[in-house]
Amino acid sequence: MIFIYIGLPLAVAAVLPLAGKASRRVLPDILSNAVLAGLLAYAVTGAKTLLVHGPIVQQVRWFGEAVNIRIALDGFSLFMLMAIQLVSLCVGLYSINYMEHYGAKANYYALLLVMVAGMNGLVLSQDLFSVYLFLEVAAVASYALVAYGLEAEELEASFKYLMLSVVASAAVLLAVTVLYGMTGALGFDAVAEGLRQLEAKAVVGVAAALFLMGFGLKAALIPFHAWLPDAHPSAPAPISAILSGLLIKVSGVYAITRIFFHVIGLTPALSQVLMWLAAVSVVVAAFLALGQKDMKRMLAYSSISQVGYVVLGLGLGTPLGVAGGLFHLFNHAIAKSLLFFTSGSVQQATGTRNLDEMGGLAKRMPWTAGTNLVGSLSIAGVPPLGGFWSKLVIIMALVQAREWSLAVIAVLASVLTLWYYLILQRKAFFGKLAERWAQVKEAPFWMTAATVILALLVIGVGLWFAAAFSSWVQPAADALAKGF
Amino acid sequence: MTFQIILLAALVLASAAAILAKDLLKSAVALAVASLFLGIIFFRMGAPYAGVFEISVVAGLITVLFMLTIALTKQGGDVRESKTVKVVFPLFFAVFLLIDFFVMRGILAQVPALEGAAEAGTFGDVLWKERSFDLIGQLAVILAGVFAVLALFRKRNHHDH
Amino acid sequence: MIINEWVVYLLFAAVLFFLGLYCLLTMRNLIKLFIGIEVIGKGVSLVLLSTGWARQSIFLAQSLVVTYIVIEVSLVATALAVIINLYRVNQTLDIRSLTRLKG
Repeated sequence: MIFIYIGLPLAVAAVLPLAGKASRRVLPDILSNAVLAGLLAYAVTGAKTLLVHGPIVQQVRWFGEAVNIRIALDGFSLFMLMAIQLVSLCVGLYSINYMEHYGAKANYYALLLVMVAGMNGLVLSQDLFSVYLFLEVAAVASYALVAYGLEAEELEASFKYLMLSVVASAAVLLAVTVLYGMTGALGFDAVAEGLRQLEAKAVVGVAAALFLMGFGLKAALIPFHAWLPDAHPSAPAPISAILSGLLIKVSGVYAITRIFFHVIGLTPALSQVLMWLAAVSVVVAAFLALGQKDMKRMLAYSSISQVGYVVLGLGLGTPLGVAGGLFHLFNHAIAKSLLFFTSGSVQQATGTRNLDEMGGLAKRMPWTAGTNLVGSLSIAGVPPLGGFWSKLVIIMALVQAREWSLAVIAVLASVLTLWYYLILQRKAFFGKLAERWAQVKEAPFWMTAATVILALLVIGVGLWFAAAFSSWVQPAADALAKGF
Repeated sequence: MTFQIILLAALVLASAAAILAKDLLKSAVALAVASLFLGIIFFRMGAPYAGVFEISVVAGLITVLFMLTIALTKQGGDVRESKTVKVVFPLFFAVFLLIDFFVMRGILAQVPALEGAAEAGTFGDVLWKERSFDLIGQLAVILAGVFAVLALFRKRNHHDH
Repeated sequence: MIINEWVVYLLFAAVLFFLGLYCLLTMRNLIKLFIGIEVIGKGVSLVLLSTGWARQSIFLAQSLVVTYIVIEVSLVATALAVIINLYRVNQTLDIRSLTRLKG
């Protein structure tokens, strides 16, 4: 019953406006979070056992007739599903308090659920066109969510994001059309088979370049990153979290990985292109993050940099590299969401995102400061937190593959990452408590709860990384290596 | 084929008019005309459903949305577009057409393709049975659009962060 | 010959892409920019349909184009909603007024 991942969020989203009319506050919150919690529980427990027998292919039946909805679940998509439900649930919980003053909460939750349904659909698709379709579903929902606050800054960010993203989607669809034109098929297996029979390196190269442009923009790889530093800071904090934590990874990294590994095939040339693009992202974004005064903008540039690490590992293509990349994808998803949550708490308490204006907030907001520290250290790669292990694996994989220059770049950029996160910590939370912040309060219950859940996860994954690695990441990496 | 080429040329001219026109309303109308031509082109390729959709939805619904937006944003006065871009345009256009004509023919003739099986069934079969997953996706994207519009036009009592 | 006809369609679609991109790069009115996106969209649906037609699967091509048009409608609705709100806040449709975000 894996169709439930797409069907349930959509069904609940459709009825949310009615629920919202019935009870303005409580019902939409409960419904949405219950859906997300249920899907997460299913991903962690039920689906895992289903997978013991190999990848599941589900043939859905409508009213007795076999309808052609073939969705398949393998280690990689289950890994992504689990990450999506987990972060989305925390976003849903956080939004209970944060979105109070924005109005029309039922509508907000409906958009959130549609976005989750879109991401789930993307991950479960077996078909190039379906990938494009659900990509657009999630994207349209995200445009509205970025602009949700209806302030000038948010609208401007949403417009710029929208413009660039639509061109990227067009590039993706063109690439899909090229592959379809050559092989006459749209399903992953059929297209892969067809490409194997044809010998068309040049044209496949064109399709690969178009995919790279399209998905590269969704994943905010440099030079396609220009929209992210505007869109992510301006959006409401929980939306920044889901965009940085999930959307760029699902619609960017997952899509390009799935297509390059299972359909086109990762050639050495492609691998080099991916890795060097990723390396540029890692370094340039880290430098740009250093100079930022806006807390969320610094986090946004950090996302670009960390996604670079993920693509670096995945682009390497070796089993260790792929595993490291996937592990870092997960670590960054939970840690970056956590950081955007805490930045939202700070913004709500103090009314500013400017690091120079903050100071000493740790005294008044201990939970926020503590969880922020955990998230920062994890991304910066400080042991024993999760980010350290995933970066280590990526660097080891690079060394193992004799990519010395890339390994050195990865290590040096790690130092940069630690540097700007320490700046963030010092400026916002430590130091002297400025006069005007003497009265700020800790964040409301659900916001704090969401950050604590994620922080515990970050610590847990770090301490028990071997278990996390072998039970979740390794099957995903194996699935990628194998194909269907 | 020649009639198709005439229609395609008309499509391109209408699109160019839509882009270069100074008055937004004329732009929107030109876009609708372009959609009309595209719909006829689809129809003549043996794709009546696509043609109908193109004409009724794009030339119809989307044009209405554009006109609504133009009407709601008229008060601010016109945005001055740069004159030079309109003057330079024919030059770029001509250059592009030359490149397009010579390059495309050579490249495209060499695209390898597998032989395909003949299509069975009717359009209905293909849409409802073979591409049923797409219908779920369509539903999802419509929901996304509806909620987006509802969210972006919601009534705000007193917005505060 | 079908392939030659297909090439003609792609030729014209490329022109549409050029027009759309030209609009995106040079125009300043927000609505005009979005019309550029629409023109690109026409190019995409032309490529999609003609490729399916050249492969003799006109039904599949139509299904894809129909789905694409539905996506386009949602996109246009959302984008125009953002543009109308931008106008309400800035009182202008000039893209040069969108300068709040920098760095």
